[in-house]
Amino acid sequence: MKALPWALAVLAVAALAVVPFTLSPVLVQFGISTLLLAVLAQGWNIIGGFTGYASFGNSVFYGLGTYGTAVTMTKFHQSFALGLVVGAVVSVGFALLLGLPVLRLRGHYFAITTLALSEAVAAIIANLGITGRNTGLILPLIRGDSMFYEMSLALMVLATLTVWWLARSRFGFGLIAIREREDAAEVMGIPTTRYKVLAFGLAALFSALAGGIHAYWITFIDPASAFDISLNVRMIIMAVFGGAGTVIGPVVGAFLLSGVAEVLASTVTGIASLFFGLVIIAAVVFTPSGVIQAIRRLPRRGLATFLDAVRETRL
Amino acid sequence: MVTLQVLSNGILLGGLYALVALGLALVWGVLDIINLAHGAFIMLGGYIAYYLFTGLGLDPFASLPLVMIVMFVLGYGIQWGLLNFLVKAPMFNMLLVTFGIDVVLTYLAQILFSADLRAIRPAYAGSNFTVLGITIPLANLLAFVVALLLTGLLALFLQRQRWGRAIRATAQNLGAARLHGVPPRFAYALTFGIGAALAGAAGTLYGLVAQLTPYIGVPLTAKSFAIAIIGGLDNPLGVIVGGLVLGLAEAFGSLWLGPTYRDAVSLGLLVLVLIVRPTGILGKTA
Repeated sequence: MKALPWALAVLAVAALAVVPFTLSPVLVQFGISTLLLAVLAQGWNIIGGFTGYASFGNSVFYGLGTYGTAVTMTKFHQSFALGLVVGAVVSVGFALLLGLPVLRLRGHYFAITTLALSEAVAAIIANLGITGRNTGLILPLIRGDSMFYEMSLALMVLATLTVWWLARSRFGFGLIAIREREDAAEVMGIPTTRYKVLAFGLAALFSALAGGIHAYWITFIDPASAFDISLNVRMIIMAVFGGAGTVIGPVVGAFLLSGVAEVLASTVTGIASLFFGLVIIAAVVFTPSGVIQAIRRLPRRGLATFLDAVRETRL
Repeated sequence: MVTLQVLSNGILLGGLYALVALGLALVWGVLDIINLAHGAFIMLGGYIAYYLFTGLGLDPFASLPLVMIVMFVLGYGIQWGLLNFLVKAPMFNMLLVTFGIDVVLTYLAQILFSADLRAIRPAYAGSNFTVLGITIPLANLLAFVVALLLTGLLALFLQRQRWGRAIRATAQNLGAARLHGVPPRFAYALTFGIGAALAGAAGTLYGLVAQLTPYIGVPLTAKSFAIAIIGGLDNPLGVIVGGLVLGLAEAFGSLWLGPTYRDAVSLGLLVLVLIVRPTGILGKTA
């Protein structure tokens, strides 16, 4: 019974793994950015989807990972691997340190504080000498899209496996309990503060690793691109579109939406962003619990799936 | 002297900021919707006023009511025809849809109005006068006065008028308001429409004292957040406090730390307020 989804997943990963050897370089580049976005969506899924905290600070984790890697490589002339580690340590450290005061806030207040934090960190980085101020940093050039592709794929698989473990572990159940009703979770004996901070740190870990890989691949970073708040919005869109709080939803969301954006960009070039906005609106209205949920219901309910969804969430 | 001048600049800016945030705070406080398209509404209002000025020669203060009516209709329609369908969905969904509206409006504006800088510049735009050695630009002062006037009017409307009270009742308890005859779909659309109308007014004044591009929306939404948080959501007059705090913080932040730290100062302030007083400076403690 349980073997089929596993076989499908292994098959999908295998098919993705051979892409660099069979398909065009353009597709490989599209693959790298999509896989990294899937990692980011999965990272957001841990704190947003499972724990229910709408974080706008994940782009800070991404940015710190980016800068940790870049500074280690350019200013201290160390290896990429060490850079990744430094980026991850800085980012996770930041998450654990700030998680304590910030995760006390709930709902919209948490969302806005993390938003502000990301802007504040970007401003600090833009004023520091070691990070190259506003001009940014240039990393050593390396050719090898296939390598970056396989690394991104491995990271995506790791992130998804972690979320899969979350979905059936005591820790993950604790996070879901916090999402559903934090006071009740506390009463039930869940160490809510520790769990929330750990979830924040886990989200930071994956975001930072994705940032580090992206920095070395693109070879140029500056504060505006590393701390881009719209990247955070894209993580949320992809996770929610696919299904927040599910294991595979964020990955599906990342692939579907990146695909749609790519097709739009090549067909209706000038107004692609406009259409993208409309796609987001339509998707959220008609599949409020995510695409995965809708696909599960579709065979039984047919088109009524979408109408039911709209009716359920209407005022 | 420099300090006094910066103080006056900060206060004038703060008044406008209060109006910028007013619509967002209203919609957030009453409907529990964070409207990420709020800044785009401000941008749109600014462009409408700009074209009324360049096309018909209408003074921005004369076109203000017109802009507000147009924006009210737009906001009412968006809530009635779209957002009302999502009210019971999780919080992220509303954030995403309003973000989608922001994207659509921003790129529509880019196509329709081009990305060039626009500003509403009537004859009196450049004039200023000096009091006690402080230079006060006339347009900024007028914008300040109108902003405070509109904030006061909203407070009066919510306190005294029948529908204003219906809106407050909806904010306190949707079910009880419904039992007392407030039609919720209409109350929601009305509130969102008023929020959009106030954004339109803010855009008109913004176009008078600053420059319009299709991209001013997101930063203005972010500032509105900060102001609403600092002031708290319980009282429309809170945004005046929030606006003044942010205006002064930005003015003095630029003076003491340099303009590159301006945004960091205001946002650092926001984080501080949230951590120390999670319901805002004027807000009730939970």
